Amino acid sequence: MNAIQHPLRKYIRGHVTKTTTCPGCGNGMAAQAILRAIDELGLSMDDFVFVSGIGCSAWIPSPLFAADTLHTTHGRPIAYATGVKLGLPEKHVMVVSGDGDLSAIGGNHLIHAARKNIGLTVVLMNNRIYGMTGGQTAPTTPKGLRTITSPYETLEYPFNIAEMVVAAGAPFVARWTTFQPRQITRSLKKALQRKGFSLIEVITQCPVQFGRVSKLGNAVNMLKHFKENSVPLKKARALDSGALAGKIVVGEFVDIEKAELAQECARIIRQAQEAN
Amino acid sequence: MSKVTVFSQSCKGFEECGLCSFVCPKHLFKSGDEINRLGYVPSAIEEQEKCIGCQNCMIYCPDFAIVVEKEADDPQLEEEDAND
Amino acid sequence: MTSQNKKIPSGTHFEMGNWACAEGAIAAGCTFAAGYPITPASEVANYLAERLPQAGGTFLQTEDEIAAVCAAIGASWAGKKAMTVTSGPGISLMQENIGFAVATETPLVIVDVQRLGPSTGVPSIGMAGDMVQVARGSHGDYQIIALCAQSPQEMFDLTVRAFNLAERFRVPVFLMADGFIGHMREQVVIPSEKAISLVDRKITQKGKNPMERQDFLDAEVAPMPVFGRGLASHVTSSCHDIHGMRNLSDPEVMHSYIMTPIQKIKKHRDEIVQVESDCAGKKVALVTYGTVARAARAAARMATDQGLSVGTFRMLTCWPLPDQEIRQLAQEVDAMLVLENNAGQMFPYLKAEAADKCRVEFLGPQTLGQIHEPEYVLARLKEMMK
Repeated sequence: MNAIQHPLRKYIRGHVTKTTTCPGCGNGMAAQAILRAIDELGLSMDDFVFVSGIGCSAWIPSPLFAADTLHTTHGRPIAYATGVKLGLPEKHVMVVSGDGDLSAIGGNHLIHAARKNIGLTVVLMNNRIYGMTGGQTAPTTPKGLRTITSPYETLEYPFNIAEMVVAAGAPFVARWTTFQPRQITRSLKKALQRKGFSLIEVITQCPVQFGRVSKLGNAVNMLKHFKENSVPLKKARALDSGALAGKIVVGEFVDIEKAELAQECARIIRQAQEAN
Repeated sequence: MSKVTVFSQSCKGFEECGLCSFVCPKHLFKSGDEINRLGYVPSAIEEQEKCIGCQNCMIYCPDFAIVVEKEADDPQLEEEDAND
Repeated sequence: MTSQNKKIPSGTHFEMGNWACAEGAIAAGCTFAAGYPITPASEVANYLAERLPQAGGTFLQTEDEIAAVCAAIGASWAGKKAMTVTSGPGISLMQENIGFAVATETPLVIVDVQRLGPSTGVPSIGMAGDMVQVARGSHGDYQIIALCAQSPQEMFDLTVRAFNLAERFRVPVFLMADGFIGHMREQVVIPSEKAISLVDRKITQKGKNPMERQDFLDAEVAPMPVFGRGLASHVTSSCHDIHGMRNLSDPEVMHSYIMTPIQKIKKHRDEIVQVESDCAGKKVALVTYGTVARAARAAARMATDQGLSVGTFRMLTCWPLPDQEIRQLAQEVDAMLVLENNAGQMFPYLKAEAADKCRVEFLGPQTLGQIHEPEYVLARLKEMMK
């Protein structure tokens, strides 16, 4: 047996020997992108707390990552992570979870965390379906598609999550697809070097559930679809909405500085203690 | 010269996944011969000498199943992706 | 690092219960509280918002009660003594995550200043509306601890005890109060900081790999693998093993996941259960808890003055149920009259323990929305003792 190890193996728990994902699932690609960002920044897993909810992508940190991990109830990782960050403000608190978890049941926590500017890094894996439970409609499922809970057609319009979180006040928001893993890593490195709330929305393939619903069928076709339909932000801003139908706008939507909540709380503590 | 190692026991299938093959600019991946312990026929690479060390396969593999060790003098590949 | 100079206001005060509760939390070493405004609990959060930063802590007002309990649990895993405060409707919202705290063995204090329900009901009227909800409101089988305060003084004392029990047993502990004592002003004596004894959670010292430690599922309470110390802890509310790793296939693990946290509380019930009884030699016991104990004592005094043999039995802990104490009492008295400010919540559990040994009856207030008039209790006692 050769002694070659994957360069990111050291960030994975020793007793974990395989991933729990379907063949071609985008989760593992994001897992690599996350660990590569940590590696390239020279950070240690001891610098992190990972928080995830319920769904396939919540299994990215749990049990794979060799770090403090909090695997919470459905929709709530951002709420839990807020408490973790306020208790351990020096740590990088990263939330990794899916579009159902973070924009449906957890939608309220998502927009409030962005508004409060609590220093979390949120990786939102958007596969546009509820994968783990068998392919139900998500708030991100394109209108018109048939799913197991919209067996005639999906009647509702989908969220534009990145733009919604920008509107909620987040100072750093990016969107990429799994076809752009190097960009995911690059944006994540930026996010980890900023203090405020960061969202990286990753449009990802669920070959089994969304592949079936969209008739794209398999991971390779879905990656081809991402490649052909990704439009860089700068170009997208010059196009009208008609031209963007069915397209995936990728890039960094906002990157500004504003006062972060945990640091503000620390300031208030100093103020309150000095006043006494 | 780069050295590509496929951890065949971790691979989820040349047919079922096949992302390494999709992203390899030199189309070096083929189907392997044996069924692995997960029940898949993994990807395999034969013509190692043609690998240019872009590391796409390593970076895109969802199962941490490929390692590309680059030599110091390998050319850097332009990123094969949507530009911004 | 901020210092925790709590500036405990030692001395004698004339203050409302909600204030005393906030001061009790700070005296207990609480450095994180999250809450959402709700009558009649809001003042606890209002005071904590001002006092916690003085004591080196943080108060977070969240977007809803669900976020509040989640943030408190997250802060507990970050190493803080953490709490949330709410009323009945908020407890209802929090139930799923109360289950999370139980399943992950998270020290947590939840203050419930109860109000008249069901549903929106009457926000400012006290009622013992959540006595069963706090014990059985989340799905599955589990044990929690619930302490019942009868006065602003006890809203201080029992809040301190709640934190100590939470730390000791790695479990959510409820401080049950109601809108009457929460808003009532009465004497509150706060001891000096030195005189308040505190318990801190045991934190694991053992290395970086959870596979080489027991972080969960020990009936003697496993040391807590707090975050931020390089322990690479894995905490999940999925069924898990002693290392905290998810296991959804081994029935032995499933059994332990459910039963060990239950045993953790039941085994140590003698450390937890507290009752106050003056029923020695009495024929009838007035069994109460919380605010109603005041009416019970008044009724017992009136009854004794009229030559009736009546004592009071007050539960300072309603959960775990003081079952042994109730069974012992049932052997000594002829009858128990359970007084609750509701339509009968603890009553069925108490009756199940005692009814084979003595008569057990229930008396709610003559008019729900007000607690029992002592004369009303006395009239019933006379009827019972004919």
